Amino acid sequence: MKESNLVLTWRMMLLAFFLPPLLILAIEVTFFGEFKGIDSGISFTRFANATLTAFTLCSLFLLGNLYFYGESRNRPLAPLVGMFMATGFGVLATVFFIGQGSMLLEDNGSVRAQAIYNIVHLFVSSGAISLSLCVALGVTFSAITSQKQRSSFELEEE
Amino acid sequence: MNIRDFSRVMDEMLQAFLLFWIPVSMVPLGLWYSLTSSPLRGRFLAFTGIVLICLSPWTVPSSPSSAAGHLLGAVIGPCMLIIIGIYLISFSGNVPVGKLPRSDRRIGFLMSAAGFVWLSGMHWWILTPQLVPNEVNVYWHVFWPTFLLLTSCLASCSAVTLLMIGEQRKTESKIMFLVSALSFTLLLLGLNIDGPFVTAVDFREHLWLAVADMLGIVIGSVLSILVFAFVIYTYERNLPEPESITPPTDSELQQVSALIANHLGGEDE
Repeated sequence: MKESNLVLTWRMMLLAFFLPPLLILAIEVTFFGEFKGIDSGISFTRFANATLTAFTLCSLFLLGNLYFYGESRNRPLAPLVGMFMATGFGVLATVFFIGQGSMLLEDNGSVRAQAIYNIVHLFVSSGAISLSLCVALGVTFSAITSQKQRSSFELEEE
Repeated sequence: MNIRDFSRVMDEMLQAFLLFWIPVSMVPLGLWYSLTSSPLRGRFLAFTGIVLICLSPWTVPSSPSSAAGHLLGAVIGPCMLIIIGIYLISFSGNVPVGKLPRSDRRIGFLMSAAGFVWLSGMHWWILTPQLVPNEVNVYWHVFWPTFLLLTSCLASCSAVTLLMIGEQRKTESKIMFLVSALSFTLLLLGLNIDGPFVTAVDFREHLWLAVADMLGIVIGSVLSILVFAFVIYTYERNLPEPESITPPTDSELQQVSALIANHLGGEDE
């Protein structure tokens, strides 16, 4: 595939991905003249909490993956310390920013309650994301397998 | 806070730790265990964890986190119907291995459709997950818009990918556009039609929060992966050069040549 075609393909795929939310925004603006239901303050709080929690939990997961990396590297300590610091940074940043007050505090009374809520919230979102991935990939696969079988190679005519 | 209050709080925290968070940690631990050493024990551990999480609204009703267990118990049925249904549809088609009977296709379609109808019934009918009567489970507001929006986005992306990269995949692409349109229609219905417990205004608000949530998850995860890559890169770059070994001697070269010669060519039949 030519490079220009490849760029076009990627752009089209990205556009297709973002089409549904863009379409909803367009419909909202056309029919209501405004973005109803968007509170930038609450949305930012949700976004920041999700970012911090995802960073921390993903770092923790990758820290666990270093076990497998260490198997082929004579169990080095340096990467473990590095990822441990990254995870610690995530935890400290979460506690610090939530502790600043209403900026990242949602309907919870304390830093601990908010941090636990963030983790559970992330699990639920991840569950929904996983199910969507299963549905999209599964339906694509089943759509492909439902068609007539194709041969991978042209048979040589004798 | 007096001692009695503190004791009660500690009890609740301990209960939540023992009956919610330990079962939560059992799921990834069981999956990891099933991949590394014992598949049967690992699966049993993960399954027990899931069952205990689903039971958490009864075992630790005081913990707000148990609402997630309640949601899991509520949506696990339709989700399993959808996943098993898609599995049956996929493997009853033209697959080279693990082919299922053709009749499973219809059953799979019915199961998937039933799963989607069940989930829709949770929004527009009386099946909405409620911890207490007339109070919707807060995590349902997170799960449903995220699922609908992302399914629509991914299906649309898959449809265009099939068109742009695949060869003669128009039929498959149309199916994916149909799935995307179906999810999108459900989104639009949610934005405009009230359910018995979830209003259109609530849904609209939570839809944009779901967008913020997904953006945050993507950015946080990407940042973490970048840090991981940086840590590994820095470590590998600081490793000393591997020591050079002496070149092979003549006798070693002869031995290697003999070995290679023994393994080249084939026997005439």
